[in-house]
Amino acid sequence: MDKTQTSNVKAIHGKLVGQSVPRTEDLALLTGTARFIDDIRLPGMLYAKILRSSSAHARIRVDTSKAAKMPGVHGVLAGPELVGRVKPWGDLMQDLLVGDHFPFAIDKVTYDGHEVAAVVAETKYQALDALEAIRVDYEELPVMVDPESAIAPNAPLIQEGINYEFGEGNIFDRYRVRIGDIDAAEAEADLIVRQRFTTNRQAGAALDPHGCVASFDSFNGTLTVYSSTQSTFMIRDGIADALQLPRNKVRVIAPAVGAGFGSKVQMFAHEVIASIFSMRLGRPVHLVLSRAEIFKCGTTRNGQIRHAELFLKKDGRIIGYRDYVIQNSGASSYWGNQVIHIGTNVGLLPYPIANVHVDGDIVHTNTAPGGALRGFGIPQIIWAKEQLVDMAANALGLDPLLVRQVNTIKRHECPVRTPIGQVVDSTSIDECLQRVADVIGWHEKRANRVPYEGVGMAISMKYTSCRHPSFDTDLSAIRLRLETDGTVTIFSSDVPHGQGHATFLAQIVSDVLGVGFAKITLAPADTANAPFGLGTYASRAAAVLGTACRMAAERLREKIVAIAAHVLEADPRDLETGADRVFVRGMSDSGLYFENLAGFSVYRTHQLPEGFEPTLEAVATYDTPTDREAPDGSGNFSVTYAGAAHAAHVRVDPTTGRVTILDYVMAHDTGVVINPLIVEGQHQGGFLMGVGMAMGEDYDYDEKGRMLNASFAEYQAPFAADLPELKPVHEIPAPSLTIPGGQKGAGESGTGPVPAVIGNAVADATGVRFTALPITPDRMLIALREKQRSGLAVFRYPDDMPDYTGPRDHTAWPKSNAGEGGLFL
Amino acid sequence: MTPFIYYRPTDLHEAAGLLADAAATTKLLAGGQSLLLALKDRTLRPARVVSVASLTGLGGVREQRDGRLDIGATTTYAKLARATFAGWHAEIAAVAGNLADRSVRSLGTIGGAVCHAAPRFDMPTLLTAAGAQMHLLSVAGERSLNANDFFNPQGGTHMTGAEILTRISVPGVDSLDALAFEKFRFRIFDAAIVSVACALKVGSDGKISKANIVVGALANAPLTAVATAAQLIGRKPRELRAEAIGAEAAGEVAPFITTQTLRQRYQSELVISLTAKAFARASASVMGA
Repeated sequence: MDKTQTSNVKAIHGKLVGQSVPRTEDLALLTGTARFIDDIRLPGMLYAKILRSSSAHARIRVDTSKAAKMPGVHGVLAGPELVGRVKPWGDLMQDLLVGDHFPFAIDKVTYDGHEVAAVVAETKYQALDALEAIRVDYEELPVMVDPESAIAPNAPLIQEGINYEFGEGNIFDRYRVRIGDIDAAEAEADLIVRQRFTTNRQAGAALDPHGCVASFDSFNGTLTVYSSTQSTFMIRDGIADALQLPRNKVRVIAPAVGAGFGSKVQMFAHEVIASIFSMRLGRPVHLVLSRAEIFKCGTTRNGQIRHAELFLKKDGRIIGYRDYVIQNSGASSYWGNQVIHIGTNVGLLPYPIANVHVDGDIVHTNTAPGGALRGFGIPQIIWAKEQLVDMAANALGLDPLLVRQVNTIKRHECPVRTPIGQVVDSTSIDECLQRVADVIGWHEKRANRVPYEGVGMAISMKYTSCRHPSFDTDLSAIRLRLETDGTVTIFSSDVPHGQGHATFLAQIVSDVLGVGFAKITLAPADTANAPFGLGTYASRAAAVLGTACRMAAERLREKIVAIAAHVLEADPRDLETGADRVFVRGMSDSGLYFENLAGFSVYRTHQLPEGFEPTLEAVATYDTPTDREAPDGSGNFSVTYAGAAHAAHVRVDPTTGRVTILDYVMAHDTGVVINPLIVEGQHQGGFLMGVGMAMGEDYDYDEKGRMLNASFAEYQAPFAADLPELKPVHEIPAPSLTIPGGQKGAGESGTGPVPAVIGNAVADATGVRFTALPITPDRMLIALREKQRSGLAVFRYPDDMPDYTGPRDHTAWPKSNAGEGGLFL
Repeated sequence: MTPFIYYRPTDLHEAAGLLADAAATTKLLAGGQSLLLALKDRTLRPARVVSVASLTGLGGVREQRDGRLDIGATTTYAKLARATFAGWHAEIAAVAGNLADRSVRSLGTIGGAVCHAAPRFDMPTLLTAAGAQMHLLSVAGERSLNANDFFNPQGGTHMTGAEILTRISVPGVDSLDALAFEKFRFRIFDAAIVSVACALKVGSDGKISKANIVVGALANAPLTAVATAAQLIGRKPRELRAEAIGAEAAGEVAPFITTQTLRQRYQSELVISLTAKAFARASASVMGA
């Protein structure tokens, strides 16, 4: 642990916030007793399975008549019969897409895996048998796998019948940033570095599958849906809207959720399909997706093509950034267009760049739907921008470390408002940068070169929660109840799926109330009894939910103390809480036990102060003081920003192309760390996901848009054995000034820098500059061979490959045809 | 998985009889590490599954009097990995202990792997280089095939559907002086992208008298670099450059000119480096001896 943090922990000695309290969740998870979605069994439960398209783009005709007669089958569904009965979705949130989601394709499939029909049967095997009896006639249409082909002038439309407000053809949304004067910056620049960078598609690959159990009570008309989701209320509102049910008649409960990484933040077709079956049959319906289905329709990281340009002065100062981004959001998208907005805005950090000009076209292709995924656009822009920083440093003859030092926001400058509008309330990113350089041995390694070894670094900041441009809210809520035995129940609708809510919220409650940690329990996320919250995503749990929890605990404490003051005939200001009691300051061995006070509050209401509203409950909602996006793309979307500086030392095997990470150093600013054990786990996990993006994972499509690697055997997610030895993360806290407890988001800041770090290190080791992801051994080796043949000192892969057909330099880059008119929000 | 009738015969002849009844619709189950996956995703839908996993006489390893190593078909990788074999036979244990993952090695059998004959599996390449013989049994009797003739260049094996692989005979340690196996895969549990096995024997004059270079994962069956190996005969290992042999082998089994995709081009590069590594290790072992 870092020294700064050690002193921090000492300062709050006796408190649990700041302590590595072991996660109370882990026993159930490690012993396999946690109940995940596939473990749920309800009396009379039936099993549903979905037939998915084997074609990426085709007109279809579906005949389900034979399947309906198969043994054990209770029902069959396909698209046409639901038209007019189910409301298309995607427009739940203001300004977001208009109705590009429906339970099934109606007359056209738009990607491999698109829902075509579904069967519900006594057993899942009967359901699978019946799926085989469904006849689908495909009339194939031209397939567009890459986004550049999808925006070609005569490209056929993927989403037909939807008039996009800001888009045109397969461009379904646009994005624009206009800050400062980019032309002036271009004229003033001593150096312009430009490169076209592309990024890969990455799956969430949560081990716990997407799935749900829907159970409709025919008598009281309530639909209960158990779902492996990150967000109970958004799913509830989505299902209720799609099926036009009163929202108080839909209840969503999250079982134990074995990770999501953003891939479970939206509502999916399977949740609606299971609900329809259950409502029709009056029986519970289980619908859990297979791994192949999850790869194909569980949402992926949006692929981006960035035509990125960095304008610099001789001394390394960055004075401008210009980019034209083509984002591949797949065949339909729910959160995809938000990725480019938020990712680009926040991804410009930690450099306060005065002149920024970005155009973005968000494009449909005949590929898997793009969605939220750990990092939410940050890794994509960092991949481009942080490699441009190295390229610029090399061109200027400067140390890449120095160029970063010159440009990054410093701790002493905070709080600072950047030209694009972010309010960086506090940071230690400058110190993090120096720390990783020192620990990796930056200067020594660059001075003493070893063939095929190199070092690379990158820095980034990740938003801590976010006011989505199309979604004007950023709130979470907590209800606390002091139970009549002195225990405390926490109610929250923000689903924990690896963030340790049960532990870190209890740490906050224990500190504020003075109640023993073991007496605090987090209730399962259930819309029937939890206050409204948006969900667990965007690194928001500790900061936003944690703040709501602190506020609720303070309110509850006030009520508890009020009763005690009345009973003790004392002034509430003279009372303290601790050790499960309220006591007169300085007399911590005496006092009234919480359980007695809680008893008064519900069973002895005559003992309560005049006008005291009985029961000891408190609710608090925290909505962050953040901005909506302005028409020029500016705004402070995030309540605070978590910094990450990473550096790697790599070795490339010139006989196999394997890139081995010999050393990897991470320094993070997560503000006040509530639980160092959890936060370090989040950073390490974020790093591992970044390694997958950098070095292995991608969606492999053939020319017909069929996904070739929809299994863990083929999809190149890294195994533990293939990863470097993990080292402790250097935590250098700069407590948030905006969040009352000082904490910042931890979930995603470990992912952002990784691809750029590896890219820079590989370039340093070999002279091969990767502009496409992932950096796999085959690409590496072929690039080394081609570099030798070409004689180029710096060889760009794939731009300098003989068979490369894309634009090799900026003169051949495409431009957005959006024009300057209109607002794109 | 689709429904099937499951048989657990008590002896080999009963198993052979069950196969003879309906060979086309029957699958043998040994460790299940390939078959169960295929059943699970319904790519295979046999009407009958006959388990040979617990048949006596099919498991275990015996060294015969003539030095041959007889490996029972249902011997698991894990058991092979734990075995202490003499001389170059030890390479069999090393390969068995360094493939797939622990659970696959605990259940998967060498016979299952050889019969499944997936091109990226290690054992077909290794056993071809070692000159192993496959012993087959059916109601019609017994026969044996050299590994070379056992694997079908079109994919799969030349076994008839009615035959059971009973054991694999690896020639005695005297038949070779060294056997070295090399492979490359992105992740440790993946199947090989390319595998190479190099077998060498030297005469009393220190010159190579027998050489075998076999390359796996390129085609539907292991490819033998016959011409490259032939050039080694009569040469002293010390005089040979491993990289040159690698390039020779790649030119023979994975000529650059016919490679189209990035993956194929990469494979031909790997043939160069892995053949060089395998030869270097085999010749070091020979020279050390």
